[in-house]
Amino acid sequence: MEILIQQLFNGLTIGSIYSLVALGLTLVYGILHIPNFAHGAIYMIGGYITLTMMTYVGVNYWISIAVSIIVVGVLSVLMERLVFHPLRNTIIINNKIAAIGILLFLEALAQLIWGADFRQMSSPYNQVLNLFGVTFTVQRLLIIVAAIVVMVLLYLFLKKTFIGRTIIAMSQNREGAFLVGINANKVAMLTFFVAGALAAIAASLTSPINLVFPGMGHLVILKAFVIIIIGGMGSIPGAILGGYLLGFTESIGATYISGDYKDIIAFILLIIILTIKPNGIFAKGEH
Amino acid sequence: MRKSKIIMLMFITLLAVSLAGCIDGSGKTEESEGSTGSTGGENVVNIGYSGPLSGAAAYYGENTLNGLKMAAEEINETGFEVDGETYKLNIIGLDDKYLPNETAANARRLVQENNTPIIFTPHSGGIYALQVFNEQENFLIGAYSSEPAITEGGNSLTVRIPPSYHGYVEPFTEYSMERFGKKLAAIPPVTQYGQDWAEELIPHWEEQGGEVVYESYVDFSKDTDFFTLLTNALEGDPDVLFIGGPSEPTANIAMQARELGFEGGFIIMDQAKLDEMKNITEIFEPLEGSIGTVPLIYSDYPGTDEFVEKYREKFGKDPGSEAGFHYVSMYIFVEAMKAAGNVEDAKVIHENIQAGLDALPDDKKVYEIPSIDENGAFEIPTRISTVEDGEIVSTDIK
Repeated sequence: MEILIQQLFNGLTIGSIYSLVALGLTLVYGILHIPNFAHGAIYMIGGYITLTMMTYVGVNYWISIAVSIIVVGVLSVLMERLVFHPLRNTIIINNKIAAIGILLFLEALAQLIWGADFRQMSSPYNQVLNLFGVTFTVQRLLIIVAAIVVMVLLYLFLKKTFIGRTIIAMSQNREGAFLVGINANKVAMLTFFVAGALAAIAASLTSPINLVFPGMGHLVILKAFVIIIIGGMGSIPGAILGGYLLGFTESIGATYISGDYKDIIAFILLIIILTIKPNGIFAKGEH
Repeated sequence: MRKSKIIMLMFITLLAVSLAGCIDGSGKTEESEGSTGSTGGENVVNIGYSGPLSGAAAYYGENTLNGLKMAAEEINETGFEVDGETYKLNIIGLDDKYLPNETAANARRLVQENNTPIIFTPHSGGIYALQVFNEQENFLIGAYSSEPAITEGGNSLTVRIPPSYHGYVEPFTEYSMERFGKKLAAIPPVTQYGQDWAEELIPHWEEQGGEVVYESYVDFSKDTDFFTLLTNALEGDPDVLFIGGPSEPTANIAMQARELGFEGGFIIMDQAKLDEMKNITEIFEPLEGSIGTVPLIYSDYPGTDEFVEKYREKFGKDPGSEAGFHYVSMYIFVEAMKAAGNVEDAKVIHENIQAGLDALPDDKKVYEIPSIDENGAFEIPTRISTVEDGEIVSTDIK
């Protein structure tokens, strides 16, 4: 029983990270229909900015995260302005190739600036708690709570504010949104900013339990794509549900079936869901 | 969205992720200066290197190349004399992203364009790939891998630099069983190297009356978090954990095991180094009861101190054994060339490696390597390190 609870907790931790990364990906897809392969690299840059602020500038963890959100958000907007915007009227494959190009560029850049070595981010929340035989660390609880807070804030932003609602409007119907006078440029920039910010938050929260290195984006990006396909491309509830679903599948699958097959289990889940619902759990339009 | 689009998208995602490893695919780190022989009145011997200089293992690759470059720079201050002529070294480093097929392609290029008599490569996959054609194309492999099979296959132009992991299995098992107990949970990395190590260690552990309570592999290129794996590994209440891989993620696993309440010891595969692991754990306490190889900075061979000091000055960090071994091997190969009176023919150089070992000056002995065996492996007395009461203790194994 203890092991089940421990593994549910582990699944929740990892699922929170997956969801945050997948949310950024799905938002961009919803608006621009671009599968942003560079999102993993954006995530990695987020980790490095937070680390740099903490170790070289010496400010506290939370301020570092705030700086990281802004820097990575702006980087993400620049990416939209300089790369995706000029390509908006070409065929879609150009966007895909451009995204791969940005991914390669950012990884090489990170290796040039910060070096190829593994860095550790020590958070002030290393304490270990032991309740009823289940081990929590404060950082892990923080990941879970922060992910929920961010999701609630994102929900409120998208549903209750005017500019947030323009994002939803754009993703539901592009032409309709233009007709009512929504500025497509602004919405695209805003979406990229939010996606970048989400990636920065996810990376900053995870780094203390893992390490910061140029390839860290690979750990999450493939899974984030699986998640948004499971959840329905462009769907926000789909990304959240898909993230937790994958997190739990991995931890429970590794425990009760086999640790060596946990990725296979996750991909079998993907195939089953796509067989039943070819467009994902929340197909587009059902926001 | 249609299904075909989804499949297309997944395909592209996979492509993107695999491409991401290919940054700077064929980027040379240094331009060659013509092939062996005379260029602008100066004799140059090109030395090839193919290793991971980008991607997940880039850090490891850089460290190995640093050792070579440092040796070459020192040697080039005066040059070295072979058969009455003075030569200088030119290291040509190519990136193979840890992929054996790339190592092979790089080696062909090095041999054809630069006429390199020696090519270093720091991973067993790449070494196997080169062994297919190195005898035919007549170049020597400076093989940095503790995999014993690379020299047991009968390749006549391979020099295996570090000690084989074979020698560690027995002392590691004995120490851990005695100090902690007979229950082992094995979670080595999923790489070929990790699997080979596990296949060697696990049967030996069982032969000695031990029990393996959990066995799985960890994939450092896919797992963001190790709590899931460790929760399962610790469920059987093991006394000892078998872990390994690059030092930093390995240290991370050890830390997380401690967080989950594990109090036993760690058997650490020779790829990870205790001093580098300490950079992550900050103190040795979490690693108490670990057994692994001796970190270079804790070694006391005649040339070690000088090397460590110079390396720190040049690169601003502590050298690992991979840098040290590459440094000393470069010197050994140069001594072998001198003894052979030849800088081109790999066969003749190989025949003179023992002479090179004998001629190696004491102050360059970052490691003491008395001899090379008939298969081409350096014979180095096995030394191991353990963490006891928060300190590293090194022991010789007879």
